Amino acid sequence: MSEHLSKQFDSELDSIRAHVTRMGGLVEEQLRGALSAFGESDHELSRLIIERDKGVDELEVAIDTACANIVARRQPTAIDLRMVMAVSKTVTDLERIGDEAKKIAKATRKIIERGNGGCLAQVLQVRHMGEQTASMLHEILDAFVRLDFAAAAHIVRRDKEVDQHFRATVRQLITYMMEDPRTISSALDVIFIAKSIERVGDHCKNIAEDVIYIAKGRDVRHLGLKGLVREMDVP
Amino acid sequence: MSSSAPSDVALIRAEIRRRKRRDLWFGALGVLALALALLTVVTLFINMLIDGWARLTPEFFTSFPSRRAGQAGILSAWVGSLLVMLVTASVAVPLGVAAGIWLEEYAPKHWLTDIIEININNLAGVPSIIYGLLALGLFVYTFGLGQSIRTAGLTLALLILPMIIVATREAIRGIPQSIREGAYALGATRWQMVRHHILPYSMPGIFTGVIIGMARAIGETAPIITIGALTFIAFLPPAPLVGTPPFVNFEWLSAPFTVMPIQIFNWTSRPEAAFQQNAAAASVILVAMTLMMNGLAIWLRYRLRKNLKW
Amino acid sequence: MDPSRGAISELPIKAEVRNFNFHYGEFHALKDVTMPLCERKVTALIGPSGCGKSTLLRSFNRMHDLYAGNRYGGEIILHPDQTNLLDPRVDPIEVRMRLSMVFQKPNPFPKSIYENVIYGQRVRGVTKRSVLDDKAEEALRAAALWGEVKHRLHDMAFALSGGQQQRLCIARALATDPEVLLFDEPTSALDPIVTASIEELIHQLKEKVTILIVTHNMQQAARVSDFTAYMYLGELIEFGYTEEIFIKPRDKRTEDYITGRFG
Repeated sequence: MSEHLSKQFDSELDSIRAHVTRMGGLVEEQLRGALSAFGESDHELSRLIIERDKGVDELEVAIDTACANIVARRQPTAIDLRMVMAVSKTVTDLERIGDEAKKIAKATRKIIERGNGGCLAQVLQVRHMGEQTASMLHEILDAFVRLDFAAAAHIVRRDKEVDQHFRATVRQLITYMMEDPRTISSALDVIFIAKSIERVGDHCKNIAEDVIYIAKGRDVRHLGLKGLVREMDVP
Repeated sequence: MSSSAPSDVALIRAEIRRRKRRDLWFGALGVLALALALLTVVTLFINMLIDGWARLTPEFFTSFPSRRAGQAGILSAWVGSLLVMLVTASVAVPLGVAAGIWLEEYAPKHWLTDIIEININNLAGVPSIIYGLLALGLFVYTFGLGQSIRTAGLTLALLILPMIIVATREAIRGIPQSIREGAYALGATRWQMVRHHILPYSMPGIFTGVIIGMARAIGETAPIITIGALTFIAFLPPAPLVGTPPFVNFEWLSAPFTVMPIQIFNWTSRPEAAFQQNAAAASVILVAMTLMMNGLAIWLRYRLRKNLKW
Repeated sequence: MDPSRGAISELPIKAEVRNFNFHYGEFHALKDVTMPLCERKVTALIGPSGCGKSTLLRSFNRMHDLYAGNRYGGEIILHPDQTNLLDPRVDPIEVRMRLSMVFQKPNPFPKSIYENVIYGQRVRGVTKRSVLDDKAEEALRAAALWGEVKHRLHDMAFALSGGQQQRLCIARALATDPEVLLFDEPTSALDPIVTASIEELIHQLKEKVTILIVTHNMQQAARVSDFTAYMYLGELIEFGYTEEIFIKPRDKRTEDYITGRFG
């Protein structure tokens, strides 16, 4: 984007974008940490993840305040306005992803404390799903920085795969629970974890829609995949 | 509002035509009035030109008045006019400009300055013969300055002083307040503000006022006659510049003199037709001088105002 | 991005208005105004027409002394030397040499660009060419005008565009090294693009000088200022950080004004 007459405005917008990137990085770190704590039954790491969620919350508040300041002081228009509005929504989604990471860490801790996590060979599938959403998060943050709407549209499609994956995981876990009722409580925790991961995918999709809104000025929420494809063809 | 039916449009157009006719009428009236005034002046001038044409020779400018009309010239008259104007300008301009600046920039606004203001405006309308009588009493009898160039110059200076004051004040008022505030805001004193801004920016207006005043003064007859200018002068006053130190000589100030209008007046009171021709020729020159001064005023105003925009 | 801002009272103060009252004849134009001016910050005065914001600004350099019929009381203390600018014993010329002013309409003198910029130095009796040249360049650079005029310093100032003229007036004000720069609606006669460039300039200038600006454009106050004072009917209703005034004003009257519910 070319520069504004007001360098101050430029630096404020840059600062917001930089903070979103930083928050995104932190959230991604939290998610990957929570997933690996789950995969490796790392009690200490889970604790750390839960503790560090505060940092994410603080960033959300700071960025939202900065957005309000820009709206109040700069009266942003056109792409600047879309940027500020979308950033405000994006940080909400990022914060939720942070919350999901915390939930994953909490559930992991419970599983570890219960001590019968070993029987859950199925975690592999959940870990795969986690890996998938973590890479989605990484990609969407990248797309946000570059305002790459094509990459964002790809993320929207990938969310569907995560949803399918989730349903398959649940079906599989149900069979486990029917075979061995002793695993029910832990399996339920794993389902919660899977659900959290699936939610992360949804949030990534929301952010992707925000990126498309910033870059193309089109609101592609609730259009479905077909509608999205149609919108993306419009110049 | 009803939708505009065609009949409405026709009505509106008829109404506009009616009003525009009145416009035309007034325009025609104005042109007529202007033509009447211009024609009179032009006719007078052409009449003089025809009468005096034969006398407009170089010798006419370089000859003294003579009893023989064919040899008479206006040398002493135009030199006298020039010197009187010199005195008038050097007295009236500094006084008038200083007074104008004081009234606009320094004077507190209260009843005394109000009275001064009203009186100055009234002075500009006082008949010139009154100035002549005043000068006779004051300069000639009280101060004993004699019936000299300096008396005439001072008299005419008094006459045009109100004009210069008024012109100066008008010119100063034309300077926007923002310029004054701009100068003061940078720490200027009042005199710095006047010296750097008010004076230079009001110059075009002051020049115009001075020249128009002088053009009036050069044609004034009544006050000059009153103070007793001679009608027949066959010599020139002592030269103001001389070859020996201190190079300037002020004797000319107290010399007797005549001026253009008096010379004309003198010739017109002669019965011989030849002198009437002389009078016509001198009048043409006087009118030309006045027109030239007015032209100069217009040109100066145009030149100097080009750089002043607000 | 910096929620941990300190209280205003802990910031370095350049000037302070204390219990200032102003009368135009019988009209009580300013009522007991008290507010600080933080050093090297931009403070904006906003409020509806006739609220006294311009009167307050023009009191800082004693512009009112030029006209009869004005009375005022109270103090405007200039730090660090604690001079009361309103003290009758303090010469208004001294005040105007320490505080510069930029007016509503660009008011360059009908002189050359160069003579305009160095006029403040001329008034001070500086005649040395090299000093004047340096001052002119420095001030024109600070006003972001040097590049545009360096090859035609001796052209008439009126040859410049409106925005350039206003920047010239800013340069002229800066060339006297003022401690405080007063702006009286400096962009009300300019188009939006030129306005944005002047606003950017104000933002740069605050690194060097304390700025007080009157504007009838609330958005401008929001854009350029660090602190905002809302005035209404001669009273200072609210003073605070600009973000706070524009996001959550404490006074209902301020809120009504900035949200356009006024009147």
